[in-house]
Amino acid sequence: MLRIRNLKCFYGRIMAIKGISLSVAAGEITCLIGANGSGKSTLLSAVCGLLPDWTGGIELEGQSIKGLDPPALVRRGISLVPEGRLIFPPLSVMDNLKLGAYTRYKKRAANAIEADLESMMSMFPILRERFRQPAGTLSGGEQQMLAIARALMARPRLLLLDEPSMGLAPMIVEKIMEVLEVLRSGGLTIVLVEQNALAALEAADRGYVLETGAVVLQGAADELLADKDVKRAYLGKDYGDFYDAG
Amino acid sequence: MQAEASFFTLLPDEKHQLQLERLQSTLNRAYRHVPYHANQLNALGIEPADIATLADLQRLPFMERADFSEHYPYDLFAVPLRDIVRIHTAPGTTRNPTVSGYTAQDREHWRHMLSRAMRAAGITPHDILQVSLNPGLANWGRDYKDGAESLGASVIPNTQLSIEKQLMVLRDYKTTALITTPAMAGHLARHMTDSGMGPAALSLKTLIICGESIAPDLRKTIEQELHVRSWVHYGLSEVPGPAVAFECESHDGLHINEDHFLPEIVDPETGAPLPEGSAGELVLTTLTTRAFPLIRFRTGDRARILKTACPCGNTLARLQWYPERMDNIMNIDGVNVHGDQVHYHLENMLSLSKEAISLRVARREGRKLLEVFIRMNDTIFSDEIKELEKLLRRAEARLRENLGVPAAIRLIESASM
Repeated sequence: MLRIRNLKCFYGRIMAIKGISLSVAAGEITCLIGANGSGKSTLLSAVCGLLPDWTGGIELEGQSIKGLDPPALVRRGISLVPEGRLIFPPLSVMDNLKLGAYTRYKKRAANAIEADLESMMSMFPILRERFRQPAGTLSGGEQQMLAIARALMARPRLLLLDEPSMGLAPMIVEKIMEVLEVLRSGGLTIVLVEQNALAALEAADRGYVLETGAVVLQGAADELLADKDVKRAYLGKDYGDFYDAG
Repeated sequence: MQAEASFFTLLPDEKHQLQLERLQSTLNRAYRHVPYHANQLNALGIEPADIATLADLQRLPFMERADFSEHYPYDLFAVPLRDIVRIHTAPGTTRNPTVSGYTAQDREHWRHMLSRAMRAAGITPHDILQVSLNPGLANWGRDYKDGAESLGASVIPNTQLSIEKQLMVLRDYKTTALITTPAMAGHLARHMTDSGMGPAALSLKTLIICGESIAPDLRKTIEQELHVRSWVHYGLSEVPGPAVAFECESHDGLHINEDHFLPEIVDPETGAPLPEGSAGELVLTTLTTRAFPLIRFRTGDRARILKTACPCGNTLARLQWYPERMDNIMNIDGVNVHGDQVHYHLENMLSLSKEAISLRVARREGRKLLEVFIRMNDTIFSDEIKELEKLLRRAEARLRENLGVPAAIRLIESASM
């Protein structure tokens, strides 16, 4: 579905991503885990067209996305749930959702959009309850649900999520991961960027571990969950539990 | 193991992508955690990020057996010792042996590769599998045992037994599959004939031959004498291990575990990569190994890579393995013995210079052994023939212990060398 080869991303002269290759299979949840500053969000920005300064190859279903702007990428089927949700607080839940379908209105798809609104509200019943409420009055978990629903309104085939669990209670995180698994079983392909490695790996099929702009490990999610390096670095195991001979 | 199971069904382009991803993360790990690899790359002004295609691998320097000895024991490990679950030792090139380590995940990958190779030879949970390898291949014995157990076969692990006992176990325990070296298989076949036991007395049907490539006529003879079908496995006695490549039902080359290793063929003289399909020295790079990554390791083995489709349907590329070696390593029943190491021990013990010694691989009762010829000189010459005899037997024992192969020392007159 998505294939990246030797991606190098630059902020001015600083290389934030140093030649990453990765692939995302259709119908799978692929997670990218790593510490702050490892390049996870930068990578998503490049895939969404938000970061123009990159080299290497990014292919969506076999076609390069180089030079495409964000609206074009949304039309190609990529949707992003950004870090920190970035909903529009003064607008109602309904308007936020409708904005998610922004690129579709031009195609006179109003009826289909209405139907999608309905299905979003069946998927997230809380949004029906808050339908006319300003989005800013929603709780953190509800806002995250709204951000996901808004991204889905564009009818993506590839959904990218940047730290959806950030600042949320464990129970809410679990709920969000459940939603992702439901979406995956509906055929959606998902890329999940997370610092919460445990939650991400439990939901994901495969994962990549990033360290200062490079992939240092990849594999099946259950394999990574069992990996001592991953446990030590990202699953909150006390480093003192391990004896470092180096 | 999801990615593993689906590797065979990948399109060439997808296979290439997966190998590139694994190569890049292997390089990143090696570069970050092993000073030796970082120095190797830094010396050439290369960073892991510069390796953008599989072909770019050719820009990296080779790793040789001498590097293992030099970084004895743990300096080539890419994980903390705490993560290592097994440590293997094999004879090195000089004073130091080769020490390799495995993480739990590495062990899992080996189990997976070995059961894959054995499954290709038709081994099932119904088989009774006997492992019979010489002491120098004890590491392989453990690996084969683990792989066969994970397949569900009933395993008779590697134990040092006399030929009579081996044959007794083979017959009485109703062994259906045997893993051994060509020399041992030949030895068994001859012993059976000599003792008047026909192959019908055995339940054996599968023979896995490892350690050395086997001449087609010898293979045919063994197959006839033991009434078996045979499968050849290619591996390295030091690192990384057995069954790096294995035969399938088509018996036309050995499938390389390309999801775990990236093979290259280079000119043994210049080190330059050779065009596809040429025979040359096999160079291996590990793609999934965590503890002991190999980057462009020169195996010293002569091989050719076949990329054409195999009738068995398996998409892994195939290796044609030739018996000749590309270095001064002697293959003694599967164990790689480096001439320098023999010289080191003899120099150390008998103060003999390299010139005073010559080596060859000899056969005794069907098994190979290292034969050392020493030109008589004043240093070791003693009036007491008994003393001399004792000294030589001690030297033989030392070679046997350090190299893992039988050794015989013979004294000769200066003129005959």
